[in-house]
Amino acid sequence: MAKKFNIALSSRLSPFQKFYLLVIAGFILGPFIPLVIQSFAFRWAWPDLLPGTWWLEQREKAMAPLAWDYVLSPYSRVWEATVNTVFIGTIVTAICLAICLPAARVLAREKFRGKSAFEFFLSLPLIVPEAAIGIALLMMFIRLGLAGSYVGIILAHLIPTIPYMVRMLTAVYQGLGRDFEEQAMILGANRWQVLRLVTLPMLLPGVVAGALFTFLVSTNIFLLTFFLGQGQIVTLPTLLFSKIAGGTLDASAAGITLIVTLPGIILLIISERFIKEEAFGKGFGN
Amino acid sequence: MTKVQLNAVRKQFGAFVAIENIDLDIESGELVALLGPSGCGKTTTLRMIAGLERPSAGAILFDGKDVSEQPVQDRNVGMVFQRYALFPHMTVEKNVTFGLSVRGTPREEIGARLEEILDVVQLTQFRHRFPAQLSGGQMQRVAIARTLITKPSVLMMDEPLANLDTKLRGEMRRFIRDLQQRFGITTIFVTHDQVEAMELADRVAVIFNGHLAQYDAPAKLYQQPASLDVADFMGASNIVPGRMKSDDLVETAIGEIRVAPRAGFETGKDVQVMLRGEAVDLLTDPPAQGGVAGRVVARDFFGASVNYSVDCGTHQITVSEQARRLVDVGTSVRLNIDPERVWLL
Ligand SMILES: Nc1ncnc2c1ncn2[C@@H]1O[C@H](COP(=O)(O)OP(=O)(O)OP(=O)(O)O)[C@@H](O)[C@H]1O
Ligand SMILES: [Mg+2]
Repeated sequence: MAKKFNIALSSRLSPFQKFYLLVIAGFILGPFIPLVIQSFAFRWAWPDLLPGTWWLEQREKAMAPLAWDYVLSPYSRVWEATVNTVFIGTIVTAICLAICLPAARVLAREKFRGKSAFEFFLSLPLIVPEAAIGIALLMMFIRLGLAGSYVGIILAHLIPTIPYMVRMLTAVYQGLGRDFEEQAMILGANRWQVLRLVTLPMLLPGVVAGALFTFLVSTNIFLLTFFLGQGQIVTLPTLLFSKIAGGTLDASAAGITLIVTLPGIILLIISERFIKEEAFGKGFGN
Repeated sequence: MTKVQLNAVRKQFGAFVAIENIDLDIESGELVALLGPSGCGKTTTLRMIAGLERPSAGAILFDGKDVSEQPVQDRNVGMVFQRYALFPHMTVEKNVTFGLSVRGTPREEIGARLEEILDVVQLTQFRHRFPAQLSGGQMQRVAIARTLITKPSVLMMDEPLANLDTKLRGEMRRFIRDLQQRFGITTIFVTHDQVEAMELADRVAVIFNGHLAQYDAPAKLYQQPASLDVADFMGASNIVPGRMKSDDLVETAIGEIRVAPRAGFETGKDVQVMLRGEAVDLLTDPPAQGGVAGRVVARDFFGASVNYSVDCGTHQITVSEQARRLVDVGTSVRLNIDPERVWLL
């Protein structure tokens, strides 16, 4: 990442372009700097620009940085929240894929009456405020006994993720064209062989991208999880919120924030590599 | 080897008629070109023969047997798509053997046939590459190899040369012609380039707007088109309206032209006279009698050949010659036309 950035800077960019890149990098990375500093601070009181006391100076009092000591201990529930977040994200992604793959195929390839109305309808969940959806769902789920359960949260997470996934996969299917499948049939492949040997492998990069995206969205949903989890199911976003709700960013909240960003960063790195290397070089040839 | 027949085949997409009652007989081992402007229904015709599209009416026969109900997989046809449709996630080798492996051909046989076909299309050294790493011509040869290896009884190619540059086109034309003759496969290919159709095909089917306009050998199509549209599409530039003065003389705006008598063209009939540029002699020597008088107004020099535009009053006639001599612009000339080479429409 850093290396690429340097290369970008040193190659033929105008001073303005370099400046622009630096500003963007500042915007993206800037907010992390106080977090990192904070998490290693012992005491950091206003209005000091840097912590008054660093953890390193207090080695004899604390084995690890205070914040990290807390974050990594069971009391913080960070581990529990991480497991919950990943579990819910995985299930949501799988269900979302199962629903959206066939839907996207139809949307990309077929014409039917009311198609554009249907497409508009699909994006509605993105337009209606999450809070409204959350409250409405909570009412229903309490009746159904789904409030505070994994099933309830997973169902709720499907609402904002399906519109994205359908859109991404529709684009992927549109890019696939019928030629490949028809060619396979002419060469003698039956339906199952076409699906297994041609369609799925060719959709894979798009499907992986869509799945990663869905997973990331799911792991970042706060409001719906907060409403429907009823405090019984803790995920990383809700845990973080409970730490910073008081309006202060103490060392442990800073540590948790950094932990919360980890799944996203790891996934982005994986997807970056995967999509680059597995997607047969230059995309779909021709 | 398979004889292909289309009997009154029609194809409708909703209310839109893409193909209107086409009858087409393709002899076993013949190489036929479907020629026509964009959107006339060439691809649709191929797709129906392949079984990717069902005719709305009519029948498609292979060796006299109706295959209209037969699914694609069982027709044993081959088709090279306009954009090749190589599987991008498979190497050249995997692409080529796809047809055999899905049919469950034994491993050793696949191996042997792979070597054979890679040799034919000269792709042995590229066998481990992915399609994205090949040039246009190489991709096309992979597409052809992938189809030929399945030994199809009918080979179809949809504008196989459209994506190639001029030089490669020439090479690939010869290559396809050789292959077709070596394997003797009944072959149907689509093109909208009349030169390509004439160079490659035994017979050419010209399609306009879903109608079969003419189905003939290239020479006949070129010299004796059945209609003005066909003449126009085959690049005829000199078409002059006229009236039959007697059964071997046409009165036209540029003068009287002698023709060979032909049934159906009686005295008094309004006709169109088509003159092929290379069938017209340009006479510069003084008092030549007969023929059409004119003046050279433009000269296009192509090296081996040269085209003159001759102004004959109301019309300009294009004459092409071997560049053995050059006539200057402005020269007064007479055009002499062999009656046998004049075509009436
Ligand atoms: N699936 C379809 N639905 C509706 N109309 C179609 C469909 N397929 C083809 N057509 C129409 O049928 C006509 C013939 O199409 P076709 O693809 O056969 O043309 P073509 O001769 O191959 O043209 P080109 O040279 O541009 O490839 C076109 O007007 C096209 O719009
Ligand atoms: Mg076409």
